[in-house]
Amino acid sequence: MKRNSGAGIWIGFAAILVWCLLPVVWILSLSFKPVAETSAGSPQFLPETWTIQNYKDILADGDFTRALLNSFGISLIATLLSVIFATLAAYAIARLDFKGKRLVLSIALAIAMFPVVALVGPLFDLWRTVHLFNTWPGLIIPYMSFTLPLAIWTLSAFFREIPWELEQAAQVDGASPWQAFRKVIVPLAAPGVFTAAILTFFFAWNEFVLAISLTSTTASRTVPAQLSYFVGPDPFNPPFSLLATASVVVTIPVIIIVLLFQRKIVAGLTSGAVKG
Amino acid sequence: MAAIEMNHIVKKYGDGFAAVNDVTIDVADGEFIILVGPSGCGKSTLLRMIVGLEDITSGDMVIGGERVNDKAPRDRDLAMVFQNYALYPHLTVYENIAFPLRLSKQFNGKEIDEKVRNASSTLELDEHLERKPANLSGGQRQRVAMGRAIVRDAKAFLFDEPLSNLDAKLRGQMRTEISRLQKKLGITTVYVTHDQTEAMTLGDRVAVLRRGIMEQLATPRELYENPVNLFVAGFIGSPPMNFLPATLEGDMVELPFGKVRIPADKAERAHGRGLLIAGVRPEHFEDASVMDADKVAEGSTFRATVDVTEWLGDQQYAYIPFEAPPEVQEQLTQLERDLDGESLRTQLVVSLDSASWIRDGEEIELYINAAKMHLFDPSTGENLTAAASGDEGDASRRSSTTRGEGDRVATDGATTSSPAGAHRGPGGATSAT
Repeated sequence: MKRNSGAGIWIGFAAILVWCLLPVVWILSLSFKPVAETSAGSPQFLPETWTIQNYKDILADGDFTRALLNSFGISLIATLLSVIFATLAAYAIARLDFKGKRLVLSIALAIAMFPVVALVGPLFDLWRTVHLFNTWPGLIIPYMSFTLPLAIWTLSAFFREIPWELEQAAQVDGASPWQAFRKVIVPLAAPGVFTAAILTFFFAWNEFVLAISLTSTTASRTVPAQLSYFVGPDPFNPPFSLLATASVVVTIPVIIIVLLFQRKIVAGLTSGAVKG
Repeated sequence: MAAIEMNHIVKKYGDGFAAVNDVTIDVADGEFIILVGPSGCGKSTLLRMIVGLEDITSGDMVIGGERVNDKAPRDRDLAMVFQNYALYPHLTVYENIAFPLRLSKQFNGKEIDEKVRNASSTLELDEHLERKPANLSGGQRQRVAMGRAIVRDAKAFLFDEPLSNLDAKLRGQMRTEISRLQKKLGITTVYVTHDQTEAMTLGDRVAVLRRGIMEQLATPRELYENPVNLFVAGFIGSPPMNFLPATLEGDMVELPFGKVRIPADKAERAHGRGLLIAGVRPEHFEDASVMDADKVAEGSTFRATVDVTEWLGDQQYAYIPFEAPPEVQEQLTQLERDLDGESLRTQLVVSLDSASWIRDGEEIELYINAAKMHLFDPSTGENLTAAASGDEGDASRRSSTTRGEGDRVATDGATTSSPAGAHRGPGGATSAT
């Protein structure tokens, strides 16, 4: 009986793995196929002839590398600003008793619930008027706004868990409120900060609707938008292998970031601060 | 090191509730002051006002001759140990202790290292320096919190119920430890506790608070022997003082169990008040059968039926129920509520010699040391006999003179020039404590 359920678990694991990873493996395998092989409609899973020509081509493509740079720049700046603002806002919400605290939280939630698509039109007009269309800030600002609510909610939950005595102890020990915040509260909220950072970065990195609507040239177009311009010479035969290669290339930074940050996202960092 | 003067300190919350109401305490340089009282009496609030974590509504807080009402905690140069330790969990023990030094920016790495190692060896934390607080036991965390306080030569130490999270055995050890440390460093200390054992053993002077009002500020001995009112009398001492309805005729006090004679001066002061509450500590009763006959003859005795006895080895307690008239009953119920307690019945607790063979349900002849009896006004709770402190109880009181260089003046009966005028009577002849 027990052995059976053990086997069942492993079969379940395998099924889920196949379900999740098969498309990824398929994209990987596509990226190593020569263009001729994909356009011939070949049905085989693995490439007949392995090639890294796709990678060479894509990295030699000036538009793509430029888009990659845009993506990195815009996502990182949006993440950084969002996390900084969210940390300060969340700290205020968790610690201070001010009028309209509930209002701030509910507005933040309302923003998070607002459908992005509904804003594309107005933003397009507005951005053209204020000359933010097709610029980095033109994308950074909306990305920041859309990720702030989630970041604020995540972080204020983390701040609430940090015992207030720690901050008071720091103040008695001679810290200014800012020092207490920076040396005691922020290190303890680090898991929350990293969680918020990862979520924000993913949102900005993957975002497509705003990226395609608010940009017109590679001056600010990000990778997801740029990929939609990969049509190749023959409209009936899209360059599948090149698209797959680009997908692999944009996935790599995400994987690296997750691997780097996952160590930081450890729960229970505050244990031992107070009795319990 | 510095003296702390609290002048008419008031803390009112937004709803008008006064958590601390007109408290005045002068803590001399190097003195160990205890703030004690039942929960909600404002003792922690007062401490937090000293350190600056709580705003002062009115009154002056003067530390080292300087008014600090509007100063931030970090500018007051005080060290505090929190009830739940408040250690920085992301820092090692070493860095926790070094934290205030690093913030002050007055010391280089070598000086910091020296100071931290000094503190850690004082508190026997040497082998734990590289560990994180999460991996320490309760007692060790407590010591780290103390290390963080002693490392930086602050003007004063403030303790907020530092031992309440420890188990009984550890609490006893740490209590001695704190006392030893304070004597060694000779630093002004304010210590908040609800535990009267800590209050009595640690403090040079003890301030008893009730609902934001300071009831009495005196040495532990003075509190015990000359409580100013019912509340202090009931709060200090374990088991607590017995309160009995009493009427006074001449120098004879009529108790539910019979009449006893009290010293004439005490009787005079309490004269003409009608119904009174008599307060007698459990140890001022004794089983007459185990005492010398001539000593029994000097005092008063009465007969009563023991309900329950508790034999503890070194002594035993006997419980004797009695009926109280409604006026007294009401006052006692109120008192009990103030003390966070809940009395189910009015009963007399007497502490007997463990040699006594009395058993549950037996009748006993009890000796009562009426000279030690207090008489309280049932309506105000005021101690009518407290002024009679010129006799033996007062004379043997431990001197509470201000300790200049941190040495406790252990001599008894020396010139008792106590601060804050806690003593009423003149310091009389000496008898060893």
